[in-house]
Amino acid sequence: MKKLLYAALFVASASIFIVQASAQVIVIANPSVKASEVSKNDLKEVFTGTSTSLGGGSVVPILLKAGTAHEEFLQAYIGKNDTAYRAGWRSLVFSGQASMPKSLDPEAAVVEFIAHNAGTIGYISKATPHEGVKVLTVR
Amino acid sequence: MKRFLIGAMALTLGAIPVTAQSLEDLNIQIHGYATQGFLYTAQNNILTTSSSNGSPAWSEAVVNITSQPTPKFRIGVQGRYFLLGNYGNAITLDWAAADYKASDKLGVRFGKVKIPNGLLNETQDIDPSYIWSLLPQGNYPISSRNSQLAEYGGVVYGTFNLGQKMGKLEYRGWGGEVAIGPNDGYWVAFKEEGIVLTNGLNAVSSGTALRWKTPLPGLMLGASFTRLNKSSSPFVDTYVVPAGPSKGVTITTPGAMVLNAINEPAFFARYEKNRIMIAGEYVREPAFIILSGLSPYPERSDSRPWYAMTSYKVTDKLTGGVYTTQDVNHQAVLGPARYFKDWALSGRYDFNQYLYAKAEQHFIDGTAVGFDADLNPNGIKPSTKLTILKIGMSF
Repeated sequence: MKKLLYAALFVASASIFIVQASAQVIVIANPSVKASEVSKNDLKEVFTGTSTSLGGGSVVPILLKAGTAHEEFLQAYIGKNDTAYRAGWRSLVFSGQASMPKSLDPEAAVVEFIAHNAGTIGYISKATPHEGVKVLTVR
Repeated sequence: MKRFLIGAMALTLGAIPVTAQSLEDLNIQIHGYATQGFLYTAQNNILTTSSSNGSPAWSEAVVNITSQPTPKFRIGVQGRYFLLGNYGNAITLDWAAADYKASDKLGVRFGKVKIPNGLLNETQDIDPSYIWSLLPQGNYPISSRNSQLAEYGGVVYGTFNLGQKMGKLEYRGWGGEVAIGPNDGYWVAFKEEGIVLTNGLNAVSSGTALRWKTPLPGLMLGASFTRLNKSSSPFVDTYVVPAGPSKGVTITTPGAMVLNAINEPAFFARYEKNRIMIAGEYVREPAFIILSGLSPYPERSDSRPWYAMTSYKVTDKLTGGVYTTQDVNHQAVLGPARYFKDWALSGRYDFNQYLYAKAEQHFIDGTAVGFDADLNPNGIKPSTKLTILKIGMSF
């Protein structure tokens, strides 16, 4: 019984950690993107190459090369680690169905790129300054 | 058809510099991967390798270059070196296509394009994208892979949102010309009987596929229908008289192979959630071949391959999986040559996002797929245990 309680406590703690982690990442977009909020499912489709539109307009996903925000974003919204995530994109690239999204580093470069390129969408840490881009609410 | 498409692609390529302002704007990417496999069989030699002695004759290297000057327009080309036993050992064009995606609902791709039939056809050659070393051979025979992968023609594709309660529907329609080269694995059995198609066989191909992403997250149900029009090609039959007063005399007979129209329906499903993936597919492949001038042809076949597979991501780096598959030719005579049944246990370890290793054990019953008489001169035994080790890298 004690073991079961410990296990339950561990799972609950882990869940809290994951929720807190995802709260540290924000989704940003160029002001030209019409949508102001996005569902978790639509976000996943855009960032896995399944969809190229959001709120009636075309969008282009921009990735972080690596880092905590990148890992947290993949965990919270895609449900894959970096290796599996990029393997999925390679499958599209090698079958001629898509090009790999642009990967940038550091986060300030993502903000800079998205601010100056219409239709782009990306993610950064909440703490990173993000002037010139809009923040999308994830439902 | 081929010349027209190559010409159209050249024009498209030529138009890019006009619209692009700089090399950066062209968004040029280069990607590739390479794999090296090792096969060992306890009984028969398989896939034209000397696998019973342990064979490293399984190498692949792929490079592709794509350019996406605008979010809606993309153009690219992919080449491949492929060697598996006596198959391949050549560099071939995987695909070379221009793609315009007007919206999620409508896109068009033309050139040499991948044929999007079945569950895995578009990705069957992309080793880094799945856990398996060898896909179910009844459905995706590696010996005929290059012929079944792509065609000179076009694909129309798109996705319709059916609403929150109904999910999404993906459609694909295609048409063009398939070229089954003279060295394709499809002809191995013919070659061993002395029948050589000097030009291979070209056939008009068309089809459609629907994939329903159901409201249940991770569940996709699909069906496709492929048609290969009636086609024919010249062959030369060479026969060496084995005994009697004319022993050793070579007799050559020219003729024409006629492959009657093939209608191929496929039904498939896949469920992916968190760490687990479950998938299955059933295909019916009836064929009717006439070799004019030769007896005892014509030959009919009616293969109905299916598979069921599952994989589980044990850790971020380690994935394990198992599949079972069967392919029975309902027109063949009773015996091991009528069927191919296989259980495969597979593991994959990703060292990082670039490098991975695979290990796979097959328990094969029957000889309908993957075995040839020349490399098994003492006869093909009814069951085979196959071990595969593979290492791959991609960038």
